[in-house]
Amino acid sequence: MDKILGWLKSAAGITIGLAILAAVAATMDRGPYILVNTAIAGGMLALVAIGLALLLGVMNVASFVHGEYFMIGTLVAYYVFTPLNTYLEANPSPALALVAPLIAIVTALLAGAGAGALTEIMVFAPMRRRSRENWVMNSFLLTVGLAVLLINGHQLIFGADFKGIVRYWAGAPITIMDVYISRDRFFAFVLSIVVIVGFWVFMRRTRMGRAIRAVSQDETGALMVGINLSAILIFTMALGCALAAVAGASLLFLYPSYPTVGLEALYMAWFIVILVGMGNIIGALIGGFIVALLKVLTVEYIGAGWDFVVPVALIIIVLIFKPSGIFGSEVRGVLDQ
Amino acid sequence: MLLEVKELNAGHGFLQILWDVSLQIDEGEYVCLVGPNGAGKSTTLKTIAGLIKPIRGEILFKGEPIGGLGGHKVAQRGIAYVSEEMNLFTNMSVQENLFMGAYTIRDRSLQNERLAFVYDLFPRLAERRGQLAGTMSGGERKMLAIARGLMSNPSLLLVDEPSFGLAPLLTANVFNSLATLHKSGVTILLVEQNVTKTLAVTERGYVLENGRIELKGASAELACDPHVRKVFLGV
Repeated sequence: MDKILGWLKSAAGITIGLAILAAVAATMDRGPYILVNTAIAGGMLALVAIGLALLLGVMNVASFVHGEYFMIGTLVAYYVFTPLNTYLEANPSPALALVAPLIAIVTALLAGAGAGALTEIMVFAPMRRRSRENWVMNSFLLTVGLAVLLINGHQLIFGADFKGIVRYWAGAPITIMDVYISRDRFFAFVLSIVVIVGFWVFMRRTRMGRAIRAVSQDETGALMVGINLSAILIFTMALGCALAAVAGASLLFLYPSYPTVGLEALYMAWFIVILVGMGNIIGALIGGFIVALLKVLTVEYIGAGWDFVVPVALIIIVLIFKPSGIFGSEVRGVLDQ
Repeated sequence: MLLEVKELNAGHGFLQILWDVSLQIDEGEYVCLVGPNGAGKSTTLKTIAGLIKPIRGEILFKGEPIGGLGGHKVAQRGIAYVSEEMNLFTNMSVQENLFMGAYTIRDRSLQNERLAFVYDLFPRLAERRGQLAGTMSGGERKMLAIARGLMSNPSLLLVDEPSFGLAPLLTANVFNSLATLHKSGVTILLVEQNVTKTLAVTERGYVLENGRIELKGASAELACDPHVRKVFLGV
């Protein structure tokens, strides 16, 4: 009991408590759609933030290209779903109509994983072999360059147009607590929860998940116990980027694919990660929902145009009092390498 | 011949540290590598363990070349390296660290067997099995590092300065545990600065100075050797 009370008084406890109170208050004031919007936005933000936290914690990479894997997710989903959709319009088939969005999302997941693996093999591994000095700054700069490459690559090859879809699944909206939720949004939320739970089980219960945690704590120690370090790094990168890609793909109906669609995801993910303490993965999960709540409340009470300003302002205030983030940072110091 | 190191040359970056280092260890032996600070003892162990790539020379383990293989492959072949820095997983508990030590063992019951063996050897660790490794004292961390190395049931144990920074009582503990291990059949290569104690407990020794093997022989003989006595014992 004492332990719970002690936790409640900590920064983490206070923040989560306040967030829950705010959510409940706003819901009673304006209606359940507050909770629904928060849940859906939170799921997506959590996915992208967890991926970013993974990169920070395990690979010590401050990735500013993470939003581009979200973009890759939207792009691949678009180009897989659109032809399927065209085919479906000519030859209707309930079975295919049900499965087509899933095919698009899974393909996007694999593409994101592949892109992440390629990034590690072609960008970070050579950098690591060359020199470990100034690793954080160097890897950060590399990611910025890579982001420029990917954004302009998209524009060059696929054009700057907004490539969107009308909807993934047709049909009547689902009703929860007197709120109508489109099937697409409902499924996006369910998918994000499924992926997050799957990720959690993987990290805690599987041999490879433990290996990743070991690598994040001591790379040499990991080698000493027989863990294939470079394989784990490739896999972790693939995993983090796949999470971002799934977020992008599942929300294609909301965020059409265009070159800079990943930027909002990137900024939001960084806000979350800085707010909760860099490298902290549970923190990224919870922070995703907290920041989503902040955004929803801002849009509701202040105005849509302020949806970046208010959350960032609040984060700045939090950091003044707790620079290592609400939940504390688990990342090796930036100055250490 | 369990381990054969032939004319090993290795270094760190642009600096060559080891020059034509050769040594041999048979199964079941308890051998030491001693030398002054900066001689290259840790570099020798790290190169054998696969953490450093040799410039030239061979390392043969059970007859197979392992030079430049990479730390995880060498660990998988049955060499456990206990570093001076320990490299523990600080945010994991004692028990989690130990299970990570058994990463190469897939059989769960085998892992539990090793855990029981290690807890028997180090009851202190059993008492603190849920404690985070980062919050333990220096002596306990050394014990955990050695214990973690043992979890994989290695054929060869490389131990780097286990008594460094420890109080005399704990040093005696560590040496006792290593002696017990040796009696149970584990082959050990021990690197130490504490020459007196080390030569007293080991069977054979190599003396490394400035990256070269200057002397080798039975530990008892080395302890009486005038050069050793002058350089290390100030006699």
